[in-house]
Amino acid sequence: MLDFFVKYPRLGRLFDMLLPLLATLAALGVGAIMLQLLGANPVTAYGALLQGAFGSQNALADTIVRATPLLLVALGICIAFRAGVINIGGEGQLVAGAILGTLVGLMFPEAPGIVIVPLALVAGFIGGAIWGGIPGLLKAYYNVNEILSTIMLNIIAVQGMNYLLRQPMIDPAQAQLASRIPQTARLAQAFDLPRWIPTRLHLGALIAVILAFVVYIFLWRTTIGYRIRAVGLNPDASRYAGINVKRNIVLALLLSGAFAGLAGAVQVYGVHHRMFTDGSLAGFTGSAGFNGIVVALFGKLNPIGAIPAAFIFGALIVGANSLQRAMQVPAALITALNGLVVVFVVSSDYFSRRLARNRRTGAETPAAPPKSTLPPALSIEGEASQ
Amino acid sequence: MENAQLIAVLASIILQASPLIIAVCGEILTERSGVVNLSLDGTMLMAAMTAFVVGLKTDNIWLGFAAAAVIGAIFAAIVALGSIRLGQSQVAVGFVLALLGDDLSAFLGQNYTRMRGVSVPHYGIPVLKDIPVVGPILFDHDVVVYFAMALIVVTWWWLNRTQPGLKLRGSGERPTAAFARGVDVNRLRYLYTILGGALVGIAGAAFSLDVKIGWSDGHIRGTGWIALAIVIFGGWSPIRGAFGALLFGATKALATVLQRAFPEVSVVAFNSIPWILMILVLLAVGSDYTERFINAMPRGWQRPLRRVLRVSPPMALGTPFHEG
Repeated sequence: MLDFFVKYPRLGRLFDMLLPLLATLAALGVGAIMLQLLGANPVTAYGALLQGAFGSQNALADTIVRATPLLLVALGICIAFRAGVINIGGEGQLVAGAILGTLVGLMFPEAPGIVIVPLALVAGFIGGAIWGGIPGLLKAYYNVNEILSTIMLNIIAVQGMNYLLRQPMIDPAQAQLASRIPQTARLAQAFDLPRWIPTRLHLGALIAVILAFVVYIFLWRTTIGYRIRAVGLNPDASRYAGINVKRNIVLALLLSGAFAGLAGAVQVYGVHHRMFTDGSLAGFTGSAGFNGIVVALFGKLNPIGAIPAAFIFGALIVGANSLQRAMQVPAALITALNGLVVVFVVSSDYFSRRLARNRRTGAETPAAPPKSTLPPALSIEGEASQ
Repeated sequence: MENAQLIAVLASIILQASPLIIAVCGEILTERSGVVNLSLDGTMLMAAMTAFVVGLKTDNIWLGFAAAAVIGAIFAAIVALGSIRLGQSQVAVGFVLALLGDDLSAFLGQNYTRMRGVSVPHYGIPVLKDIPVVGPILFDHDVVVYFAMALIVVTWWWLNRTQPGLKLRGSGERPTAAFARGVDVNRLRYLYTILGGALVGIAGAAFSLDVKIGWSDGHIRGTGWIALAIVIFGGWSPIRGAFGALLFGATKALATVLQRAFPEVSVVAFNSIPWILMILVLLAVGSDYTERFINAMPRGWQRPLRRVLRVSPPMALGTPFHEG
């Protein structure tokens, strides 16, 4: 089959572009078998899924609202992974940003929204930057593995969030009650992000898309972005070229966290209008901090590519919820379906790279596996190769 | 009375740390061969769920353990295949599998949550368990704990005192040199990734069948990440890793004790202690100041101090190897 595309390079390139889509379809095919085994008709099931994700104005809006935090987190992940650092702390950074952003709104309830909302979003950005900057500093100056420190900071963030929302930041009304639901007071109506009435679609989605282009320009059209990518591609060569590797690692993780933090603030001001907890991080984040990584990989670590990737994931989540309601299939099937899509897309990457290689050399099956599209320094220990 | 309490706490630390030790030893074997299996969290959840369900259906814990080992091996095989054959980023494949395992275990195990299942029977080693103090702490447990203890020794011995262990380390440190010496690097990496994965699977089963009996959604979520942290903390050595697992369990126990002693301080502060401590230790182990401190010491002390205070990963960890 590969021969065929080598002969017709134009078709091959088309195949390349369609590959993530084909992989998604293949995953849905496997999902269909699972649905069949559960005794549900796959055709009606997928019909319900599509209907739920795109079927109406409201459905489409919900899909985009779901995709917004995913996209924002994914943008940060693109920066970090391009610098060769693996940021798994999206969940904690998102919560840190949400808390700092909420604080701004709670402290100045009387202030005009036009002042507070941008301030709160910046506060979210800063909150995430702090929570992402810590592992950056630890990695750059003390060789602490960033996978570990980000995971641990996630866990510390849960503890901090639960404490803040149960004690100092709790809604004064809740503090009076015996139930003491751990959540803050609802933020002033004036602070709600502008919405496209009657749907739930809010301004955050637009901000995220604009930022995707900003991040693209940042990474590929500015000197700082170039340095970050150079560090990811080859830290040693970068060091000899006079690039301050440590500073760029810190910067990459800081920015990565900042985008996750912004996602947190956007969730507060656009969707929930308060901060709450169910005891776990996922209760507030909806696992956006983790799924954002998947979205970034799905978009091949390209901020522009992350836009459709986030959209597809948002659609899967929203569509799956309505599928669950319509067909009484377990919610867990849906998350499993998401996972399948990811596995298929990631592995489809192999074919597209093999294809590219065959096109270049015109040769049949290469001896060595083709190189990954990810930066080579994206191994668990960037410093190991010294 | 005080002493009896202390002994009980120490014994429970040993028990709690055992599955973690098994997982850490498995991952050490994998990483020393040069492959990072980041899927531990998902693998352990899947294995715990599978072991519980198989144990429940067949009424046989050993089949449960076997099934868990197979699940662990399959997950690891995917990581190995993805990275060695397909040239994917090990980190990406492992991370995706970690999420998939979490979701899949919740999905497949949803009909078995909060049920009473089988569990590993208690078995105190005769004679040894009657030694005062040491006996009840070390030898009055069940087979999972003994397996973990044996595994520490066997893994250490295999890595450092046998020829296959030398080849294993070679393929993780200098794959080209090992290859030139006739070692089939990629085959070894397949082998140890899958073997390590099977051990991680057994660790998952050790939770659901022994240490934290039963199954519920997200039963032991987060444990896999802790195991990965301990591998690095332990400097890729089974003995240090086991020490790390015990230390982690001890700080958790200590946090509980402190919390009772100081009820006015928020729970949060104590719950965070193990994690903050772990970051601080990693910080100390990796910092340049530690190196300066070691260099300031008398010559004879430098080597042992460096062995205790510094860790360095296998040099070829996470980098693919291509023949020729």
